[in-house]
Amino acid sequence: MAEDPVADWLSRVGSGDRAAFRALYAATSAKLFGVALRILGTRSEAEDAVQEVYTRVWLNARKFDPSKGAGMTWLIAIARYHAIDRLRARPPAMQSDDEVLDALPDDTPGVLDRIVAAGDAQRIADCFATLEPGRAAAVQGAYLQGLSYQALARRHDVPLNTMRTWLRRSLLKLKECMEG
Amino acid sequence: MSDFAPLPPEDDALAAEYVLGLLDTAERATAERRRRVEPAFAAAVTAWENRLSPLNAGFDEVPVRNLLPAIEARLFPVAEQPRRRWFAPFAGALTAAALAVAIIAVLPPPVPEVAPLTASLAAEGQALAFSARIDPADGTLTLIRTGGAPAEAGQDLQLWVIGADGVPASLGLIREAESTRPAAGLTPGQVLAVSLEPAGGSPTGQPTGPVLVTGVIAEG
Repeated sequence: MAEDPVADWLSRVGSGDRAAFRALYAATSAKLFGVALRILGTRSEAEDAVQEVYTRVWLNARKFDPSKGAGMTWLIAIARYHAIDRLRARPPAMQSDDEVLDALPDDTPGVLDRIVAAGDAQRIADCFATLEPGRAAAVQGAYLQGLSYQALARRHDVPLNTMRTWLRRSLLKLKECMEG
Repeated sequence: MSDFAPLPPEDDALAAEYVLGLLDTAERATAERRRRVEPAFAAAVTAWENRLSPLNAGFDEVPVRNLLPAIEARLFPVAEQPRRRWFAPFAGALTAAALAVAIIAVLPPPVPEVAPLTASLAAEGQALAFSARIDPADGTLTLIRTGGAPAEAGQDLQLWVIGADGVPASLGLIREAESTRPAAGLTPGQVLAVSLEPAGGSPTGQPTGPVLVTGVIAEG
């Protein structure tokens, strides 16, 4: 974790540095917009989400602790949580629309290729490879698209409790693999 | 990886489910509350965020129109005042060098920056939430609704600060998703609260309806 410009900006933002805030926005907004758009699906809602996310970043930057993780990881976590909160706050009719779910691209195999291509973490790719394919896809679908247990159960056509058991076991296995 | 005793597997699984975003709204709110108050649970959440962070490569960068002006307008609603215009009338009469000397001699010493104050107003099981940012230098409070919905017809949300004597003083109604209001003299440690009142606000000058969310003012 030698160089983390995002972490440097965050620590300056935490002390009220508006120039650092602008630099942070310039460097990271396309990625955070990508996160919000992927989960929320429409540009207008993703734009609203990004505005809220940077507002929270300004207000909470001093809570960022670089010893606990990378700056970008922290930012993306805020963006994902906010986008997921918005998704869950939608009226139930919009959340459970099978047609909408079916229309979402399931591009999971490509994701693992890109992680490896980015040289980011061969390990997580290897560990995902130890999971049954449907379960690896479910974990990634949750992470990247904000799919809830209900949505995943529907997509994979299994009862909700089955999905919960699958995923809990898969997550445990993933953790053991990555720490092993 | 952690300074805390290992969490029970059930709790570690909950942390993972929270990070993945699998939980429904109520479960999510519970996990968020535990994250705020239980260091061991918070550490488990951070560990899962780091563990799964390679998946972030799966999010594309997508160019977005410049939202920075809108964000800054929200965060810094009072424009910074240009201060140097006062010498313009004299500029023609002075050489550049003399002007420089004059500016150095006459400019007031820089005003020490007053740290902003913030508060997060929330409550367990309550979707409604606000972020407050207080600028002591110009005595304003900017309130941004970060969760929940505005009051329904026939009702208003009202903002209060609880004084040292425990008596709430009104800081006005909250009718917009974001608003700035004068609020001089707020200090760290004071409590902000939002209550649900009849339309037009509390008729008594004190909260009459339920207090929905509260938050402590802190530095930074």
